[in-house]
Amino acid sequence: MNSKVARRAYSDLASLKKTPLYNIHLKHNGKMVDYAGFAMPVLYNGQTHVESHNWVRKMAGLFDVSHMVQHRFSGPDATKFLEQITPTDLAELKPYSSSLSVLLNDNGGIVDDTIITRQDNDTFYVVTNAGCRDKDLKFMESEAVKHGFNIKHELIGGGLIALQGPEASAALQKLTTENLKDLHFGHSKFISMGGLIANNDKVHVSRGGYTGEDGFEISIPDSASAVVFAETLLDMESVKPIGLAARDSLRLEAGMCLYGHELTEEINPVAARLSWTIGKRHKAEGTFNGAKHVLHELNAKTSLLRSGLVSSGPAPRHGNKVYDAEGKEIGEITSGSMSPTLKQNVSMTYLPRNLAKTGTEVFIDIRGKKRPAKVVKLPFVPTNYYR
Amino acid sequence: MLRNALNFPLKTSLPRVLNSKLNSAVFTHAIRMYSNEITKDTLPLKYGDNPVIRYTKNHEWIASHKDSNAFIGITKYAADALGDTTFVEVNEVPVDVEAGESIGSVESVKSASDVYSPVTGKLIASNEALIENPALLNEDPMGESWLAKIEITNPEELESLMDHKQYESFLEDSH
Repeated sequence: MNSKVARRAYSDLASLKKTPLYNIHLKHNGKMVDYAGFAMPVLYNGQTHVESHNWVRKMAGLFDVSHMVQHRFSGPDATKFLEQITPTDLAELKPYSSSLSVLLNDNGGIVDDTIITRQDNDTFYVVTNAGCRDKDLKFMESEAVKHGFNIKHELIGGGLIALQGPEASAALQKLTTENLKDLHFGHSKFISMGGLIANNDKVHVSRGGYTGEDGFEISIPDSASAVVFAETLLDMESVKPIGLAARDSLRLEAGMCLYGHELTEEINPVAARLSWTIGKRHKAEGTFNGAKHVLHELNAKTSLLRSGLVSSGPAPRHGNKVYDAEGKEIGEITSGSMSPTLKQNVSMTYLPRNLAKTGTEVFIDIRGKKRPAKVVKLPFVPTNYYR
Repeated sequence: MLRNALNFPLKTSLPRVLNSKLNSAVFTHAIRMYSNEITKDTLPLKYGDNPVIRYTKNHEWIASHKDSNAFIGITKYAADALGDTTFVEVNEVPVDVEAGESIGSVESVKSASDVYSPVTGKLIASNEALIENPALLNEDPMGESWLAKIEITNPEELESLMDHKQYESFLEDSH
């Protein structure tokens, strides 16, 4: 930490991309970090990480996820295109419903994870990770060209706001006459937000999120409206802004994958316990990217399996080595932290199938010492969705 | 110890906090009660008369007494940057350590930071009360929440470390 480094850090901040909510983060004294090339808040002044985390489990947290990449695919081959690059059976996806899915390469490795929402018959709203932006765009383009698909691919800019927590629904309900009781987990709708959005445009609201709590993701293409909308929510007693730190501990407690940690191009959906994303029709047809490899894994049942571990002592961290009871190295931790909800350490790793069973004892090397851990079922903290 | 204290372990690499000067208030829990001086009437001071107090660039402090016994802790600045402390570990004692060698770690929910010995010597005790209740670290990092006690081999090593004034200007320059 010398001054030269620090000065460079300042210019870094200036050169980073900013979301429409950037000034809101500064107003709330967000501690800004470089995340996937964006200046994003990791914490806010006056709330520790644990306080932020617990607030979302008990009240409602507002997350700026505008850095994520929002796509709209339309055109005659949009369905075929998405059924080529993901294993999801879109015939089963009704209009205005969503599914978690994965983009696959030809080896069945995961290029990124994504949420696909069908809007019209041939229109899909797809959200992918900010950290994979360039790679995904290149991948999508080359796949469309390779297969000669006739699709229209648009990127949606502006604000993307996640509102998460048991009070999220009551907070959002104050802004709309639409009855949110009729909008269930995994579904979405274009909703009018009183006078908050320019031209009184309806905005896309999907019920779900990445904390395990009930909540919504609201896409507001007009940046100025996104700011007004976020500020209105933040004026409510029950809503606080929440940064990346709590976002990560919340998703980990919910047993969800983070690209670059649990998911990589070397991991297939079967190992990641995302076999449920493979549509029944696709299992029979086997035409999606990497189907040969993925379906082989599905039948052979030989791949490692993503597993949850609990432990006490120092928290396991990404990269810590994992050993079986005989002292043989069997893998490494993909994510780990102290769980503010459970008040014990939770982590994820990939284990051989004979060990990937509830109750198995394994050992994690942390700071040169092997510490015992126990396999548990995922998620670590039960989900609280509005179904 | 601070080099990992602010990390956010996505993509394994650790982004730096970029606007820590703008938001230096983030690091202070109360109204600028900010002090990197040893807390009065606490063991690291009371143990003897006029201890030598020094600081490292890794944000450890050491209070060294005339009988060569010294207390080691992390600075207020570092404890505030770490946030809610969830876990403290000190290596098993007694053990010989070199200056700059890890003697334990402090953790928050999302980060783990090694604590390095400012000097060469024999680690002879750890602060059991702190280890049992890690949250104490944020309450009095410069006093009751010392981490370890060490018997110093070469008191001259202290001279290469910073005194309080130098440490504060080091913090200023770092931003």
